[in-house]
Amino acid sequence: MEPRRLIYLLMILAVAAPVMFGLSQAPSRLVSAERMYSVVDSVEVQPGEVALVWLDFGPNTVAENEPQAVVLLEHLFRRRIPVILLSQYQQAEGFLRRIPQDVAQRLEREMPGQTWRYGEAWVNAGYKPGGAIFIQSLVNAPDITKLLGRDVSGMPISHFPAFASVGGVERVKIVGEITGLVGVFDSIVQFFQKNGYRPTLVHGCTSITIPEAYIFLDSGQLKGLLEGIAGAAWYSEVLKKHFPLSDNSKLLVTNTALSAAHIMIIVLILVGNVAAFVSRSRRSRG
Amino acid sequence: MDSASFWPLLSTLVGGLATLAIFSFLIRENGFYRFFEHVFIGVAAGIGPMLTLRDFLWPQIIDPMRGATITTYPDGTLSGPYQPLYLLYLVPMIFGALYYALYSPRYAWIAKVVIGFTLGASGALAIRGFFAEVIPQLAGSFKPLVVISSGVFSWSESINNTLFVAILLLVLNYFFFTFGREGSLQGKSAPLGRPLLMVCFGAFFGSTVMARLALLVERVQFLLQDWWVAVQTIVGLG
Repeated sequence: MEPRRLIYLLMILAVAAPVMFGLSQAPSRLVSAERMYSVVDSVEVQPGEVALVWLDFGPNTVAENEPQAVVLLEHLFRRRIPVILLSQYQQAEGFLRRIPQDVAQRLEREMPGQTWRYGEAWVNAGYKPGGAIFIQSLVNAPDITKLLGRDVSGMPISHFPAFASVGGVERVKIVGEITGLVGVFDSIVQFFQKNGYRPTLVHGCTSITIPEAYIFLDSGQLKGLLEGIAGAAWYSEVLKKHFPLSDNSKLLVTNTALSAAHIMIIVLILVGNVAAFVSRSRRSRG
Repeated sequence: MDSASFWPLLSTLVGGLATLAIFSFLIRENGFYRFFEHVFIGVAAGIGPMLTLRDFLWPQIIDPMRGATITTYPDGTLSGPYQPLYLLYLVPMIFGALYYALYSPRYAWIAKVVIGFTLGASGALAIRGFFAEVIPQLAGSFKPLVVISSGVFSWSESINNTLFVAILLLVLNYFFFTFGREGSLQGKSAPLGRPLLMVCFGAFFGSTVMARLALLVERVQFLLQDWWVAVQTIVGLG
């Protein structure tokens, strides 16, 4: 077998073993994720105020962005903060529908008798084109639900009682942007403010954009950050600490599989270097 | 099997086949891979215009213009009067459509008006956005080198801030090419920025590898859990 194919096989085996056998390790503590938990947990939200969450990701980054969306929505749902979901990336369409539904069903199973219904806990404003121009319109709108118009099923968002009296952007207390490069994160940082008011901004990014996202965290423009799967895994651990029935077992298996893949890469690098060193010294000896 | 469970099952089966087809590239280039690559590109390109029309243009622009958002109640009264001001949407729509004049050699100059307008608006937005984004970051880089919190000298924060400022200055210095720097302190210290940049690129590369592996984990989970269950259901084992 070619070495290249052997490496692929070993990588797949390293990832598949924890998934097949359900192996899971406790995730590492991540300060930025913990900070995000505290921020989301402590934001004061009055009746009529909402959270605005962008799910700007498609199948290409769903591996990292979906767990982030799940933990953020779970926390917002547990706090009973009404969420307006939207996306400025076309391929997020399916996730906007499925993810909040799954989170709500899980919470309802966890707490029989309590409900998280569409129109009360969240609405799906769907895909919104227009990039930065749309964000500026949203910020300047006297009533953001009127500007967002109808949800994906054609119902005016302002018809849902939980979202009927939202008003302007001052009533948005938390803005969440979950994306892998394709979203409007920069535009939200730049334009989502009005008359000195800027809602709490939290961000879930893919691993590729972590170094970039740290700049915003360091400057205080971001109040919390989920770094790839590891960030979501630690956030879910903090959630579990506060809500022991919260089920994060699948996410922990994912995180463990990722760690196994990292260990395999390190082993392969070491083996490759030792093999190269040995073969070079054999050659030099003749 | 009812249609409620048939379509999710079918989409899971097709998703698994597509995943295996794309992974088959790891063995060698083949027709199976090529077919699903084209399917993916076609779907990704087609979904954009369809969603823009379905979720935005039709409900937000076309429907209000033609009065379709007005509801007629059973007693014959209307939910509201028709707003002719919605017809003003036609002005920017027609203006934007002038972009297509580009295809006519005779009227191509009209498209330049639209392009000029777009460039002007984008430029203005970019300038405003740049300052709103960068000024807080600039202010955030002015960190105290000696941090005293609650009357106690904080070693960790002081070292952190000193490192941050030193690295910032060294990297900025590396990219300072305005004056001749041979023999000067600035010139001698410039190479120090290079290894720091290498560390940064290493972090970027490591992050990229982590992101790609996360995709692999998700696909393996999908294949071993969702897809395998769907296959067992089809062959009657599930």
